[in-house]
Amino acid sequence: MYKLKPVSIRVLKMREMYRNTVPKVCTARLKIVTDFYQNNPNITGILKRGLVFKEIAEKTPVLISQGEVVVGSMAATYRGSALFPENDIAWMQVDYDAGKLFNRELDPYIIEEEDWDYIKSVIPYWEKNSLSAMVDQYIPEGYFNAVGNQVTVYNGKNICTAPVGHFCTNYDKAIRKGFGAVKAEAQAKMAEMEGHMSGNMIEQYNFYRSVVIVCDGMITLSKRYAAEAAQQARECTDPARKAELEMMADSLNWIMKNPARTFYEAIQVMMLYQIGLCLHNNMHGISFGRVDQYLSSFYEADLAAGRTTPEKAQEIFDLFALKVAEMNKIWFSGTTLTVTGYTVGQLMTLGGVDKDNNDASNAVTYMMLQTAGRLLLHDPPMSLRIHKNTPAELWEAALETTKICGGVPTFENDDVIIPALMRNGRMDLQSARNYTLIGCVEPAGCGDEWPACGGSGGEAYWNMPMAVLHAINDGHNPMADRYGNITEKRTGANTGYLYEMETFEDVLEAVKTQYQFFLEWQMTMVNMFEVVAAEHMSQPLVSCMMDGCMESGKDVMKGGAKNNSSGVPGVGIGNAVDSLVAIKYMVYDKKLCTGKELLDACLTNWEGKEDLHQFILNKVPHFGNDDEYADEWAAWLLNLFADIVASFTSIRGCKFAPGLYPVATNVLWGLLTPATPDGRRKHEPLSDGISPVQQLDKHGPTALLKSVVHIPQEKYSNGTLLNMKFHPSALSNETGMAKLIALMKTYFNLGGMELQLNVISGETMRKAQENPEEYKDLVVRVAGYSAYFVELFKNCQDDLIRRTEIDL
Amino acid sequence: MSESIVKGKVYDIQGFSVQDGPGIRTTIFLKGCPLSCPWCHSPESQAFRSQLSWISMRCIGVEQCGKCIKACPKGAIKAGNAVKKSGTDEAISYVSIDRSLCDDCGDCTKVCYPGALYLCGEDYTVEELLKRVSKDIPFYDESGGGVTVSGGEALSQAEFTFELLKGLKERKIHTALDTTGFTDPKNIQQVLPYTDLFLYDLKNMDSSQHKIVTGVPNERILDNARRIAEAGGKLQIRVPIIPNFSDSEENIRLTGEFCRSLGDAVVLIQLLPYHDLGIVKYQRIYDDVKVLKAEPPSDEKIMELKKILEDFGLTVTVH
Repeated sequence: MYKLKPVSIRVLKMREMYRNTVPKVCTARLKIVTDFYQNNPNITGILKRGLVFKEIAEKTPVLISQGEVVVGSMAATYRGSALFPENDIAWMQVDYDAGKLFNRELDPYIIEEEDWDYIKSVIPYWEKNSLSAMVDQYIPEGYFNAVGNQVTVYNGKNICTAPVGHFCTNYDKAIRKGFGAVKAEAQAKMAEMEGHMSGNMIEQYNFYRSVVIVCDGMITLSKRYAAEAAQQARECTDPARKAELEMMADSLNWIMKNPARTFYEAIQVMMLYQIGLCLHNNMHGISFGRVDQYLSSFYEADLAAGRTTPEKAQEIFDLFALKVAEMNKIWFSGTTLTVTGYTVGQLMTLGGVDKDNNDASNAVTYMMLQTAGRLLLHDPPMSLRIHKNTPAELWEAALETTKICGGVPTFENDDVIIPALMRNGRMDLQSARNYTLIGCVEPAGCGDEWPACGGSGGEAYWNMPMAVLHAINDGHNPMADRYGNITEKRTGANTGYLYEMETFEDVLEAVKTQYQFFLEWQMTMVNMFEVVAAEHMSQPLVSCMMDGCMESGKDVMKGGAKNNSSGVPGVGIGNAVDSLVAIKYMVYDKKLCTGKELLDACLTNWEGKEDLHQFILNKVPHFGNDDEYADEWAAWLLNLFADIVASFTSIRGCKFAPGLYPVATNVLWGLLTPATPDGRRKHEPLSDGISPVQQLDKHGPTALLKSVVHIPQEKYSNGTLLNMKFHPSALSNETGMAKLIALMKTYFNLGGMELQLNVISGETMRKAQENPEEYKDLVVRVAGYSAYFVELFKNCQDDLIRRTEIDL
Repeated sequence: MSESIVKGKVYDIQGFSVQDGPGIRTTIFLKGCPLSCPWCHSPESQAFRSQLSWISMRCIGVEQCGKCIKACPKGAIKAGNAVKKSGTDEAISYVSIDRSLCDDCGDCTKVCYPGALYLCGEDYTVEELLKRVSKDIPFYDESGGGVTVSGGEALSQAEFTFELLKGLKERKIHTALDTTGFTDPKNIQQVLPYTDLFLYDLKNMDSSQHKIVTGVPNERILDNARRIAEAGGKLQIRVPIIPNFSDSEENIRLTGEFCRSLGDAVVLIQLLPYHDLGIVKYQRIYDDVKVLKAEPPSDEKIMELKKILEDFGLTVTVH
């Protein structure tokens, strides 16, 4: 029987502080970066990015809050948010002008008047000097014809966020080797080259030079924290805390330059490196990798030497998780519609196999689940790697955790993911076995891959049903875009109208044409973006630890990592598949309506066509019911999508990787998508992840799972996402749990890649909408992330309630 | 494989059924039952014929649709009064069915696209069902599950149930038969070799009370249970705990004694405390709700009864 261990008072207090602090915008980083950029226009490229980090490390506020043992802060105040003008900051003016900066409904922030005055004063400078502004100059001329299609995603003007995190550098190397050793390595490389550099050796030299600079930065940052701890120790009157602060100062002086010696030091290296990465980058989805694998040997050694106890180690991990939970970033208000709840996606991975394919779980794996279950934290999100030999007690611990903390952890299938990662030349067996999850549910190399999901300036969430609609509407988007503009021009390819297509094969041809057309544009925009970003947003702090970069002398943005990839995720799978099925059934197979009638019904949002609408919803086969008539087209469409994406080449020479996950863009994209042939009305959310359309899976979870394995998931190495919602009564006893495990195992045996659970009733969620205070700590899985339910966008809450609920 | 063309009347097929035997199962519910238990929470299981059902939630109202009114040859469907649609301020006129005129012909269901009107009870061949339930074999295999044939009383459609169970065993699928036990002993003999587990109701050990409340005496039920035990069959006994009928300590003690007398045949006893969740289902096919309304038994009461059975050395679970 799985039991939750007690939580220490200190941890409880820290959690209370976390839950009760409204984040505040801090201008410290903005000021450091603005001054540096304005005063040094002569410093460019990778040196600029190296030196600006050093400047940040030397000047960023150092904050050790009361009772903290694991330290590191993004801002001058607890839970504060830094600002990232190099990407863009003009969105703040846009939000301000729209009345959405102060008192925002979702994810509110405190912003002091004087801080806003300062921010306002530097926006004009950044409007000409941010990556957004630079990228906008390079939009290919032809793309302007396609603007307004609502299929492809391109975050240029004002909101460019890239690289959008979603990578995992080698924390293990940072822990075991230290920045001192890497710095020495880089200096040795430079000494070797000095005075005789031919060809691109100059570029390598510049790379190593910036590595030396950022390593110095990390060591400086750690020593500044050491000094602060020592200062607090001197002033401290409580002897226990005083000793603790002295211990912290000693460790902070030692680590970063030198290899970590203890469990605590290993965690502190991870934490400060994370702070460094986030302060250097535009923090988002920067993932920790296989934390239980890094920490296990330190924990065991500490135990053996009597330096720690399971309780003490658990408390340190709790405090670590709370530090990670505290980190957040103020977003453009539009973005909060898809990523609410101060979510930053600093994912941690647990379990899985080791390099020899044996089970790799250890005591720290369970410690991590204990933290999530006892503290009810949605951040850091956790992903559990499952394989044939995952121990039964780990299954139990994970399911008990997800029952109380929705979607923590997610369940990832090694047996499908490892071979998937080896497809298309992405990585070798050794790297694949050591994979981690990044951001939401994306498999990637752990410390040896630059997967660069987000090359479009954000994630490239590609709207699948919208491309189908273009296919039957001669390449036109019939609906206004997010700015309210209806475009008269053709935004897609010229494929004719549904009523001009004589056979269903003609429809399929049209769909192929539009998918090729829009995916090629997506690839183009991702590549164009990367070319610009690689010049201006070098990543020496990531690269110095990432496998491959020190060897190649190249930054990750230039393809220096051992492995490379570029993800493009599709959204609205259920609606796209059902649209094809409805067209086939109604117009061609049964001839129950004409192509004109069906297309007109979509264009007029089913007005006056309720009969047709009801027939399609209730009498036509739908994906998700183990019905070959429908499922066959899931296989067809998702082979098409995967094969096109996988054929593309990135500027780093690697192939693109297809994915199927929406974060919560299915809700926002739904607002921007007209009615679709599957019976979906205008504005309704798209289907979530690889799930069938909400509530149209009518034959229970086994039929649903049989349907979704028609999707060639093994081709989707950028990840797939399947949410399932269970009523708590289904899992109230051991038999129920055993049956759930069997259900999940069968899905994985049949080729399922990922599964995440909410064990909650719609009724509870409705109550939480009515009495948010009472349900303040209710954690639910939204899509690619979990969040506190009451902090979600209302449409997201409604979408969660509407999803099919499995009970008995 | 049998080439039988016998058809069964099925009112539901439930996937991921986890309460009707071991593992993940599919339960096939056959229509019609010779008993008339007042607490029955599956009113659609009782009659042997197909019945017109109506789910108001699905109806989109006569304002937008109303096709069923024209489709009914008996004039049994009319527009009802306008009411507020649940969760909205919109007014909606649902249809109203005059059950005295309806003969369950089902013509209205053919034009009801939202599926508010549907015929409960559909004819299937054994082959059709086997094809359907075989889809979930991977789940049965992983979980140690299979298929449960339930009712109504499945053995009232004895030939069909026999062919179905036989077909399942030919496909190496674990079988369970959920039965009242009130059937001709030869039906039991026939299905015994193809039934891995009997889910077997013991409602009341007193035959006269049994007759008064359920409409049939219990001698045949008890005899059939003995027959199954003697032939080496396995029994999972289900005891509904119904206030003022089966919830006396005396009845439970007698039940325990009887089970003990069947020896190793009884693998498990499930206590099924009365609940009142069946009421909504009555409204789909009847004008008036005929289900028993009572106070569900307390947890303490159930635990006491469970203890009595456990004292006989029996394994007991509560649902």
